[in-house]
Amino acid sequence: MTMKSLTWRAPVIGSFIAFMIVPVIATALFSVATRWDRTLWPEGLTLNWWIKVSSRSAFLDTLMNSLWLSALSVLVSLILVVPAAYLVHARMPRAKPWLEFLSLVPFSLSGVVLALALIRLYSKLPLPLVNTPNLLIAAYVIITLPFMYRAVMNALESVDTNRLSEAAQSLGANPAQVLLRVIVPNIAPGIVNGSLLVFSTAFAEFVLANLLTGTRFKTFPIYLVEFTRSDARQASALAFMSFAFAWLISLAILWSATRVRQNARADTPH
Amino acid sequence: MGKLNRTWLGLLPLLAFVSAFEILPVLMLVKSSLSGPDGLLLGNFARTLTPSIATAFANSLQLSLATALGGTLLGTIIAYAIATSSNATVRLSLTALANVTANFGGAPLAFAFVITLGSTGFITILLGYAGIDLYPGFRIYSIGGLGIAYLYFQLPLAILLVIPALKGLRREWREAAECLGASGLQYWTGIGLPILAPAMLASFFLLFANAFGAYATAWTLTGSDVNIIPVQIAALIRGEVKLDPALADALAVLSLLVMGSCLVAYQHFMRRMRHAA
Repeated sequence: MTMKSLTWRAPVIGSFIAFMIVPVIATALFSVATRWDRTLWPEGLTLNWWIKVSSRSAFLDTLMNSLWLSALSVLVSLILVVPAAYLVHARMPRAKPWLEFLSLVPFSLSGVVLALALIRLYSKLPLPLVNTPNLLIAAYVIITLPFMYRAVMNALESVDTNRLSEAAQSLGANPAQVLLRVIVPNIAPGIVNGSLLVFSTAFAEFVLANLLTGTRFKTFPIYLVEFTRSDARQASALAFMSFAFAWLISLAILWSATRVRQNARADTPH
Repeated sequence: MGKLNRTWLGLLPLLAFVSAFEILPVLMLVKSSLSGPDGLLLGNFARTLTPSIATAFANSLQLSLATALGGTLLGTIIAYAIATSSNATVRLSLTALANVTANFGGAPLAFAFVITLGSTGFITILLGYAGIDLYPGFRIYSIGGLGIAYLYFQLPLAILLVIPALKGLRREWREAAECLGASGLQYWTGIGLPILAPAMLASFFLLFANAFGAYATAWTLTGSDVNIIPVQIAALIRGEVKLDPALADALAVLSLLVMGSCLVAYQHFMRRMRHAA
């Protein structure tokens, strides 16, 4: 049995790992290769492309733009979703399917469709939104709504919110205090999980940034795509940075998701 | 009563935000796709039947179908290999790998594939040494190349969806089937696949929608060379082709309908999967 299963399992898992890892390793090697387009192995190694690409002022500018944009999207998403999810969960269970539906709609909106819809509506209105990062943040909050809603709702469903809020109220806490001092700390792993998902999506997003603000407000992914057209080596350094960043955040997301499950287990009596 | 009103007040910020940036824009899009100077209700949709847009639809459907089918089938085999592995470290680290790579996409991914499978890419050269010439028969900048790049994010997604369903597949059932004289094929068609079906169908529909809406990878890899629906819509937004707002709206609504129905199907099969568990 073990011999038999080894014969098919090893090649299946091996090819899967190779398919997933080779493009990433190739990108890393390409970014430190002097030349690598006619030999099996890079002809020489250099840190030149990394130094060149990171010493441009546009590098730091676009990186900071993306970090700010992602952080603000997380903040707006938290302010909107956490209180609403709590109220629906604890006070209005009948409104829950509706909120669920609204939080799922963004899944069927592709980047180009949402961009077009927003441009159509807001280019007619006299609001300072079109071509500004504000509209981009709004779009990011919408496309990440499914992630934030699920993460926060899962966390809420895993703790006994009614007993917690009753206990807090009997000690004289007002509704705002109940939410901020009692509920939020108890659903913290879910909030962290949702925030990381929103952050990583906003940080890597290209389509909406390209179509909504374009060249007026450049994000890191836009900077990267410009380089893929002009300088492949510097682009590969940027691409590897994106991979490393996505890796770190995904591991953090995995870790925070395990925390949500552990909390759920600790709270259930059986 | 007063309490209920306060609760509604607390929901108001989210509802206002969602109305302003999700519901209203989409409704406006649907409305303008249905209205035109000729007053014809579905005139804009009839106009989408140009050869170029029909090709884009065919390409998009083909790309989505191929990567959703391939991703789900290969993903299920890999998920089975992972889930039935007796080594816990192997199981955990491969699930983590799927989690991490499901989030890779867009421009960096497209570029990584140029470096790997482009005309001077690492694998291209490696295969050249082995006497296999990929080019000019294959091009990473073509729709086939795009399919390979899409599989990179489709596969892990399918694996993550199927693994939980595999946990419901008890080892005792296989042993019982074998004791009763069932062959491996009979076990799979009679017991294994019916149990995995909801998860595999959920995966298929999610992957289909995922590929149908993807734009960043295609744009980085091929520019506007490969004619797919998101590329057509983006070109209309940028005004690269003759400005025709109503046509763009009609295309966007069609794409919304395709992705929307896929996600309804996805939700349906996810629910069936949870009931089965």
